[in-house]
Amino acid sequence: MISFQHVFKTYSTGTEALRDVNLVVPEGDFLFLVGPSGAGKSTLVRLLIREEKPSKGKIFVDGVELGRMKRRQLPGYRRKVGLVFQDFKLLPNLTIYENVAFALRVHGEAENMIQSRVAEALDTVGLSGKDNTYPANLSGGEQQRVAIARALVHAPRFIIADEPTGNLDPATAWEIMQLFLRINARGATVVMATHNREIVDLLRRRVIAIDAGQIARDDRSGRYHDDLSKPQIRAQ
Amino acid sequence: MIYRNLRFALNSAWQSFWRNLAVSTAAVLSITLILVLAGINLLVGHAFSQVLDGFRAKVSEISVNVADGTPLQSVYDFQQQLAADPRVSNVQFITKDQALAQFKADPNNVVLAQQISGNPLDAKLEVRVAKLDDVAAIDTLARRWSGVDPTDPTNYQGDFVNRMLQLSAWLGIAGVGLLAILVVVSIVIVMNTIRTAVYHRRKEIEVMKLVGATEWFVRGPFVIEGVMTGLIAASFALALLVLAYQPAVERFRADVAFIPLSYDPAFMVSLAQDLLIGGALLGALGSYIGVRRYVRI
Repeated sequence: MISFQHVFKTYSTGTEALRDVNLVVPEGDFLFLVGPSGAGKSTLVRLLIREEKPSKGKIFVDGVELGRMKRRQLPGYRRKVGLVFQDFKLLPNLTIYENVAFALRVHGEAENMIQSRVAEALDTVGLSGKDNTYPANLSGGEQQRVAIARALVHAPRFIIADEPTGNLDPATAWEIMQLFLRINARGATVVMATHNREIVDLLRRRVIAIDAGQIARDDRSGRYHDDLSKPQIRAQ
Repeated sequence: MIYRNLRFALNSAWQSFWRNLAVSTAAVLSITLILVLAGINLLVGHAFSQVLDGFRAKVSEISVNVADGTPLQSVYDFQQQLAADPRVSNVQFITKDQALAQFKADPNNVVLAQQISGNPLDAKLEVRVAKLDDVAAIDTLARRWSGVDPTDPTNYQGDFVNRMLQLSAWLGIAGVGLLAILVVVSIVIVMNTIRTAVYHRRKEIEVMKLVGATEWFVRGPFVIEGVMTGLIAASFALALLVLAYQPAVERFRADVAFIPLSYDPAFMVSLAQDLLIGGALLGALGSYIGVRRYVRI
């Protein structure tokens, strides 16, 4: 479970990115973070992966307070989390197989274990047989699949995705969303910041709208824009 | 797991070294140059200390001239007094006849020896002092002895000894100072090389951090790359020094004959150790500092 308790984030430049954010994400939830650019979505994601610490308030993941986590505990925490980004963050000089295996290599896993896990992850994202291809030879959608395979390969309990469909055409974006839904159906909690209105409106999952650093709306089965015909669960 | 991580770090360091070959080569050459300078510094220091040791051995031995007519018993007493002194390592009594024989035996004195009649030389006590610093005190002691020749008491040249001591101290300080400068310069060079490598690989480092690599996992390959750079540079520097050492010493001897510089191949073994260990440490330290700021999780 993820919980934000009165979280504030003010950057050293004086920018107030988040103001009094309270949020609970139960295990297995699928959550969209929506809102205009600069609203605070990316700050929330950065706090969640502990790239940033809150200025005030507490963030708990599985009962552990991220702000109090020591630097040496961070690698262990990040291994529980799978990260997917808009720009894929693949290493261009490594093959698809090597890119996915990389996430296990840094953990010092055994080679035979790496082989079977990578094959399984590539199979899940539908890229079996492309092991030796380099990222440059793949389409945007395929590259994002590789990034998802890399996020999945160590079987994380949380998947955090920042605009994963931002660089993809609608059809490919939809395929990628199907993948996230499958991962969520297997039990992983998914937190996704997105601008993709069609997908949010079509899937009708939990939607948290952030505006000017505050939670403006928390709908159990929401749309991209405020929909007054639906009952709403307001932020705590 | 440690073995697998080490293999990853070694592979990674090796790849990075070759991928950034231009920067790596520049670093190796710069550090080679610095290590050659450091090596020359050590070699020159060693050669001078050998020369100084030779001088020290000479000046730590003083001759106490015995006045003609001094009773033999008085000489023996004083010899025993000196021998019992902990500062003295050896005392030898040379009679007037022995002194003359020694004088005549020296090929430099052939012409002079033919012209002397009788024996104008003093009998003497040759005193070897253990530490150069104590020679002055033994000289004072000898000059107070009643049996000493008042016109020419000893052959001690205090001024020369003091200058020698000063010179050797200054040479030591200059050597250490020069080494310190070279160490700092080479650390800065390695630091900048590794920063370039880090810049080239910043995306990889970012991904490593995001997928949960530990700081040492990220840092390890760069530190190994630094050690590799240092070791390769040390090997080049060593090869150059080995090739140049003997011809340089011979050239120096031919040009400046009065300084008895000697060729000491045994010193090369300790120089090799110093350069290789030094190169590896400089490489490790430079890359550790260079990468520290960038790999903070």
